[in-house]
Amino acid sequence: MISVSAETAKAPALDLENLTEAQTALEINDLNLYYGSKQALYDINMKIPKGQVTAFIGPSGCGKSTLLRCINRMNDLVDICRIEGSIDLHGTNIYDRNVDVAALRRRVGMVFQRPNPFPKSIYENVVYGLRLQGIKDRRSLDDAVERSLRGAALWDEVKDRLHDNAFGLSGGQQQRLVIARAIAIEPEVLLLDEPTSALDPISTLTIEELINELKSKYTVVIVTHNMQQAARVSDQTAFMYMGELIEYADTNTLFTTPRLKKTEDYITGRYG
Amino acid sequence: MRNWFKSGAPWIWMTGGAVSISLVAVVGLLVLIAWRGLSFFWPSAVYEFELEELNGHRHTVIGELYDSEQVSAERILSSGVKLPDDHEDVITRYLLKTGNREYVDLDFRWIMETQIKSQSAPSEIAVFERSTNGNFYGYVVGLLENGEPVKAQDMRNELFQRMERAIELNDKASELQHGPIGKINYELERLRLKERSYELKGELDDAAKAEFEAQRQAYHDQYLGLEKELFDYRNQASRDAVIVKDMDGREVALPMQKVLDVHFPNDMGFFAKFGRWVHQLYKFVSDDPREANTEGGVFPAIFGTVFMVMLMAVIVTPLGVVAAIYLHEYAKKGPITKMIRIAVINLAGVPSIVYGVFGLGFFVYMVGGSLDQIFYPEALPSPTFGSPGVIWSAITLAILTLPVVIVSTEEGLSRIPSSVRQGSLALGATKAETLWRIIVPMASPAIMTGLILAVARAAGEVAPLMLVGVVKMAPTLPLDGNFPYFHLERKFMHLGFHIYDVGFQSPNVEAARPLVYATAFLLVTVIVGLNMAAIAIRNRLREKFRALDQ
Repeated sequence: MISVSAETAKAPALDLENLTEAQTALEINDLNLYYGSKQALYDINMKIPKGQVTAFIGPSGCGKSTLLRCINRMNDLVDICRIEGSIDLHGTNIYDRNVDVAALRRRVGMVFQRPNPFPKSIYENVVYGLRLQGIKDRRSLDDAVERSLRGAALWDEVKDRLHDNAFGLSGGQQQRLVIARAIAIEPEVLLLDEPTSALDPISTLTIEELINELKSKYTVVIVTHNMQQAARVSDQTAFMYMGELIEYADTNTLFTTPRLKKTEDYITGRYG
Repeated sequence: MRNWFKSGAPWIWMTGGAVSISLVAVVGLLVLIAWRGLSFFWPSAVYEFELEELNGHRHTVIGELYDSEQVSAERILSSGVKLPDDHEDVITRYLLKTGNREYVDLDFRWIMETQIKSQSAPSEIAVFERSTNGNFYGYVVGLLENGEPVKAQDMRNELFQRMERAIELNDKASELQHGPIGKINYELERLRLKERSYELKGELDDAAKAEFEAQRQAYHDQYLGLEKELFDYRNQASRDAVIVKDMDGREVALPMQKVLDVHFPNDMGFFAKFGRWVHQLYKFVSDDPREANTEGGVFPAIFGTVFMVMLMAVIVTPLGVVAAIYLHEYAKKGPITKMIRIAVINLAGVPSIVYGVFGLGFFVYMVGGSLDQIFYPEALPSPTFGSPGVIWSAITLAILTLPVVIVSTEEGLSRIPSSVRQGSLALGATKAETLWRIIVPMASPAIMTGLILAVARAAGEVAPLMLVGVVKMAPTLPLDGNFPYFHLERKFMHLGFHIYDVGFQSPNVEAARPLVYATAFLLVTVIVGLNMAAIAIRNRLREKFRALDQ
């Protein structure tokens, strides 16, 4: 059994089955996903609470990243991908015909497995999303840069070299820059797809502390390989296996008293 | 032996050898054309030879030693030339440039060592470079001013001063001719076309006619004033003449107006020669050609080459990049896209003369002809865009180099990591925004690579240009001070064609030969220069977008 760290203050456990509309950020209903003829996700149903950290765990290829990428419709980029069911973001289905995908992605930010800064200066990386929205005013851009970099715990390290190329930063700094870039446009939900898998332990720790900070403003959904990490940072944990959602509960419960044998086997390291 | 094979040493020798052979070939080529081309401008000594024919007749020849070769006596005898009885088996013969074209039949002649009685290099021999009839070699005897002899202490100094004066006046005259007088001619032609267009539209009533007539008269008066000034300069310039004694002892008066330069090669030290070499080199790249391109400089050809290549780059880059973006980013991956791609690659293998024929038929006659019909009916039947010109050359070469740009841009696009694309999309950018803000800038080094290859290919192409715009001698550059400044319909000169023309179409083969090397070296220099500029830009871009290669 993995012990849930006592230092991080966990919100009181919520009744995940019966969240009120005000408490819910995302509601996934009967989601099925196919890559060509191969089905990758089976009947996913879950509610993700607002202002908390929800983790998806499971072995490689279980579909946790695929599910995450459904939330900001990144799967649209895959030609052969077909989706059934719905995902409601604060009450509106993001798979509706008349949804503007670019607008949706402004509301649902995403950070990828490997840091992917643009070949621009640190400053330009952060304001990229704002410039897309047509904001040109120097003052508000400057403010946004400082706010976002502080929010991503990077400001003190880079404030003197904002106009240097972002590739000059270390991997951990690049990943925090990417987070700063994502929160600069003030999304409602932040998706983190194994954000620390390419980083060293110290950078990982910094990012984990950062995730704790972030949940005060954003709903965070994180996919992780690392069960200790899920236990440390998340309020809710969903365990997925072979494209199915096996168990979904608050992190304490899932790691200490899992309901199902499969979950227990996974978190005790018997496979995966 | 077996072990030696196994060790891989022969393989290393073989690959290393291939590289060495290539290097030797390239360096050898460059050194040859550089040496042959550049040494031409070095002031060579002028010799005076005392010759004796077999019949005892003696005469003098003055000239620059141009070349020498060893010929078997047998060959000389069989060509009908007589030799003294005690001749050797192999005889050296020399090629002399004797100049003085209007007084001797040939300004180059071969002499045999058996003829030479004595050889000297008197320091008083002067070489006159003239605007017509080539060089003149001889001894300065005196100066004339308005036909009267001039008394001077230092004849050379006086000569130089009077030459400077004449050159200055000539420069003023030609400036006047190319500047204000050229402008008036240009305006008169525009006026004529305007009048003609009124006539075609049926708007040419008496009032308009009078108006045109008045304008024409105004230009004409202006023209007469300038013409008077021009003749004034010319008259002043023709005041002096220099008397020169040539190799036959004749005293010839050379009008100073025609003298471009004079030097005493046998009286020059190394530094004086070097200074003259630099000066001659400079004149070669900055002057207009003279005497059917066998003398003077090649400036219009340099300008034409660079201008046409840049125009081509401006046309081919956007076209190629946009086509590559469509093929790579938007086109569905299917058999049709594949076929288009193969067709594009094969386009690069079509012989260039085919593009020339296509350019002439399609661009010049069809597109240009239609443009004339629509926009320049007043100039018909003489064509404006409907005849070969620099714009059609640039477009034809743009089509020729399009595949190169498309292929390298596509390669650049496919090398961009998808994580960067997704990063941009995840921030709410549309596909088009991602393309223009992230993908195309990141692919710009690859685009520059395509452009470098395109420029290298286009600058060296001559065959298609002969059909679509290049001429032996263009009176005006495609860029000048008359509105609209860029005259893209004009014909132009090109270094590559210049080499062909000077080398193979020239009336004076011997005079032209060193110019062929010099022009070839210059063409290589221009192409290398253009490439270096593009490579410098590419390296800066690479540094900037030193992308996720790690």
